[in-house]
Amino acid sequence: METTMKAYAILGLLVLSNFAGDVSALSVTVNDVECVYEYVLYEGDTVSGNFVVVDHDIFWSSDHPGIDFIVSSPGGNVVQTMKGTSGEKFEFKAPQSGMYKFCFHNPYSTPETVSFYIHVGHIPNEHDLAKDEHLDPVNVKIAELREALESVTAEQKYLKARDARHRHTNESTHKRVIFYTIAEYILLAVASGLQVVYIRRLFSKSVAYNRV
Amino acid sequence: MATKLAWRAVIVFIWWCIITTTTQAIWLDLPDSGTKCVSEDIHNNVVVLADYSVINNQEDSHLHPAATISVKVTSPYGNNLHHKENTTHGQFAFTTTESGNYLACFWVDGNHRPGDRLTVSLDWRVGIAAKDWESVAKKEKIEGVEFELTKLEGAVEAIHENLIYLKNREAEMRQVSEKTNARVAWFSIMSLGVCIGASALQVWYLKRFFHKKKLI
Repeated sequence: METTMKAYAILGLLVLSNFAGDVSALSVTVNDVECVYEYVLYEGDTVSGNFVVVDHDIFWSSDHPGIDFIVSSPGGNVVQTMKGTSGEKFEFKAPQSGMYKFCFHNPYSTPETVSFYIHVGHIPNEHDLAKDEHLDPVNVKIAELREALESVTAEQKYLKARDARHRHTNESTHKRVIFYTIAEYILLAVASGLQVVYIRRLFSKSVAYNRV
Repeated sequence: MATKLAWRAVIVFIWWCIITTTTQAIWLDLPDSGTKCVSEDIHNNVVVLADYSVINNQEDSHLHPAATISVKVTSPYGNNLHHKENTTHGQFAFTTTESGNYLACFWVDGNHRPGDRLTVSLDWRVGIAAKDWESVAKKEKIEGVEFELTKLEGAVEAIHENLIYLKNREAEMRQVSEKTNARVAWFSIMSLGVCIGASALQVWYLKRFFHKKKLI
């Protein structure tokens, strides 16, 4: 009897501990379309995550209009769409279990690096509790706590990716300030040198007494 | 009898957990030619654990052998951490010694039919997610609610460390911004000085020139 209960407790805990689908914040380079797939175990799971376009060349053109993000369910329906954005958080309740497709579309030819994070979280509800009477209600609270901590971790990954993007912008601004200022000085020197040379030519012997 | 059934259920479930744990990874589509790379910016002294395998979802997979891929993992300074050719699955683990962008690249080997969509399942765990909780449970002999709470405590510590890291990064970036700001101000004033200096030089030179030409 004792061992039966122990077995069920371990079973319940195994069920609980397997409820989080997670991937570390990976970066992928998007040339045209890049798709990432993630498996959702249960219908009704909350899929949350974020993505940030990390580096972008803004040297000669105006700021890149951003990339499009499309999430498709295993049935082929589009669950979420975000157009023309440089970084967003997303969250939705999975309408069905299965393989979800997360696609990034780059409308321009310059490749962009996108850093993304996807998390699938499940909290056992009353239905799961009713199915297995040895599942302690405290496990539900623990699952909720774990999901709350996961949301903090997700926010941190988002902040880290945005910090990386700002760092890129800052370093590019820093380099450009120096480069453009030195170029400006050289151009100024060259322009005044050319002015002097021209005036000298105007007053040269062969031309002067006839024109000036 | 009930005990036996219960333990059998546990074993079946453990087996299911192992199967589904492999689907907690992300899937990537590999192009027919060229490489597909994923990267992550990781800081120093962090454990990285990764597992990759080729997903064979063709109907005639029993007729044709599975296509093979090659993998290469490099550190930010270019050191090769893991390199494997002609493989359908594998795993690698390392502790980071440099802070920077770690790159894992996959490409398809030449011996496969063109037109096939090759999918790789990658389970990439960094830091706290790579921690082996089973061995911790065995060593400390904890189980049940206490075990779950220990995992949560680990997660909270990881959050704390990440926060400190973000704070330091933000402080570095603020320094760069303020340096840029100061430089913009200085260089603009200096460009005014350069302008005035150039025009003064011009005037002096032309005066000397006209004196020499006896025009003034």
